Amino acid sequence: MTSRRHFLAGLAAAAISPVRGWASVGAPDFLAAGLFPDGSFRLAGLSTSGKLVFSVPLPGRGHAAAAHPHKALAVAFARRPGTFAIVVDCATGAQIAQLKAPESRHFYGHGTFSADGAYFLATENDYEAGTGIISVWDAESFARLGEFSSGGIGPHDMRLMPDEETLVIANGGIETHPETGRTKLNLPTMAPNLSYLTLSGSIQEQVSLPHELHKNSIRHLAVRRDGLVGFAMQWQGSKSEHPPLLGLHRHGEAPRLLAAPDHEQSMLQGYAGSIAFSADAEKIAITCPRGNALHQFDTTSGTFTGAFTVEDVCGLGAGAAGLVFTTGTGAFGTLTGARPVVRTREECQWDNHLIPIYASA
Amino acid sequence: MRVFTLVAALIMPLAAQAQDRAPILMDVTETHILPRFDTLPETTGALVSASLVECDPTSPALRAAYDAAFDSWISASHLRFGPTEIDDRAFAMAFWPDTKGFTSKALSQHIEAQDDAVQSPEAYAETSIAGRGFFALERMLFDPNYAEQGNAEYRCALIRAITADIDANARAMAQDWHSYAPSLTLPGENSRYRTQDEAMQELFKALSTGLEFTADTRLGRPMGTFDRPRPNRAEAWRSGRSLRHVELSLISSRDLAARLSFDHAEIASELDAAFARAIQNAQSIDDPSLAGVSDPQARFRIEALQQSIHDIRTIAVTKLGPTLGISAGFNALDGD
Repeated sequence: MTSRRHFLAGLAAAAISPVRGWASVGAPDFLAAGLFPDGSFRLAGLSTSGKLVFSVPLPGRGHAAAAHPHKALAVAFARRPGTFAIVVDCATGAQIAQLKAPESRHFYGHGTFSADGAYFLATENDYEAGTGIISVWDAESFARLGEFSSGGIGPHDMRLMPDEETLVIANGGIETHPETGRTKLNLPTMAPNLSYLTLSGSIQEQVSLPHELHKNSIRHLAVRRDGLVGFAMQWQGSKSEHPPLLGLHRHGEAPRLLAAPDHEQSMLQGYAGSIAFSADAEKIAITCPRGNALHQFDTTSGTFTGAFTVEDVCGLGAGAAGLVFTTGTGAFGTLTGARPVVRTREECQWDNHLIPIYASA
Repeated sequence: MRVFTLVAALIMPLAAQAQDRAPILMDVTETHILPRFDTLPETTGALVSASLVECDPTSPALRAAYDAAFDSWISASHLRFGPTEIDDRAFAMAFWPDTKGFTSKALSQHIEAQDDAVQSPEAYAETSIAGRGFFALERMLFDPNYAEQGNAEYRCALIRAITADIDANARAMAQDWHSYAPSLTLPGENSRYRTQDEAMQELFKALSTGLEFTADTRLGRPMGTFDRPRPNRAEAWRSGRSLRHVELSLISSRDLAARLSFDHAEIASELDAAFARAIQNAQSIDDPSLAGVSDPQARFRIEALQQSIHDIRTIAVTKLGPTLGISAGFNALDGD
């Protein structure tokens, strides 16, 4: 478990100063939510070596979180279809604000801060209209400033492009309504897309897959420093088909879809959970918890470079070298060579995602 | 015949361990799945005949044939895998929920354009999926908005095109289920399922998602919220079949659950008692289209019915699931 000292030190610091930088909480490289043995859900900071540098309690099971670019602040979302997100001071664990979705809206569990840390943006469902929304919040007061269309149905992950002025949004295409739980309401007509929007909501570019892949829900994203976007998909079509679950896209070009040979691809049950570029940015990988697999590809050639078996693997990020991953069994591992190596094992179950922190201080 | 299959299946592998799933897989396939997909084209064939005899939407014979065919589809529709999901067949049979009103749009477009796709089943199968199947037919037979649109001759051709398409779809499913059956009964190298457990898990998933759909969607959609009930979102409310679909799906699920839990007597009886309660709840409600969601007192009984279905699912997931080796991966079961 995390150092109690860090927690207390943070607590003391917070009493005398406003929220400090990420260095004050042990300079974590990632945020991850997890279920701990005492039954509590916590948001943790992890280093690339798997060290748990802080953890703070969450009121319920989390999905993803978003890290403030400078301050040790995180917005943690409840699982879909949550109507609340909380803003946590990662030094003290204090909840400093709460984001509440307005009437007939819920969050999808992902969001991002603007590069200067002034704004926070979140993906939402306008479930009466059945359309996707991006909400904009003041990152000081956490007041809701406005909203705009996400350019599709079911926006899930959203990232800020390296130009710091463009959002890339995975419109998963699936319509749901809280009154019908997780029932997917529009599978035969679903049409996912990848949308590039300015921070004020005007659409720059939209990318769709060929019609035979219209049931491949685009869900999670990774962005490389040069603007190459990786997207991970979840197949809603026939289980006898095993379409690609990973795509690469560069602004203005056609998407490239990457798949493993069929005997590997068919093990994934059509489900990719997370996506990330490797530290040297030459590889891209997806995690597939239903297939207990991590698939890696070369970004230049698109070649499949390996399938690795890791039980209930889901969280994924760039490590000091190669990739790092977390699992639902509490493992934190690295993949730098021929095989994945488990580095640490917490008494917890790590949730879906590892959220990178690009701390400048 | 059905009894015989079960008995034969049960005495066969005495030498095998308790974990041998072959008898259950055989039983579910032969006595739960295949009979349902054999009955379906019988009733859809009768529906085609009825529409050829008389295509007046108010024809009692046509409406009775619609009811019988829809009944047999609802009793099979929880088996939404394998041949049922190829080419979106399940959606082509029943495009619901239709949150954006695509069915009425598709039908109006056909009528307005006098679309001659109605002349051949092949052509009609290529048109919008929302204009196909039982919900399109329901509009044509029960929605007053369609009683006058266009001319009677075209409406008649459209009704016949929809019934012929439903029937073609039903026949294709029946045929494919017979070729698919060995995949379920003989998992391994040549099967879609590598192990018996994988095949069992597919069947378990059909049970569990079927129950979830009935509770969350068939009942959840019209219930809406207490302050904002949505009676017009009930399934097939125009033909007064909403509650019947709940009951039929519970009866089918009960049969499947009994077969899946056959070698765990305690779980089997617990499930059966829970199904009995839910079915009794359904039968005690006298409200075919679930319009009572708007009335606080009637709504209370519908809520109780929904809760009783949740209760079945809880038993299935917490007790039956683990006996079938359903992996409880923290992330694997998560759908985000």
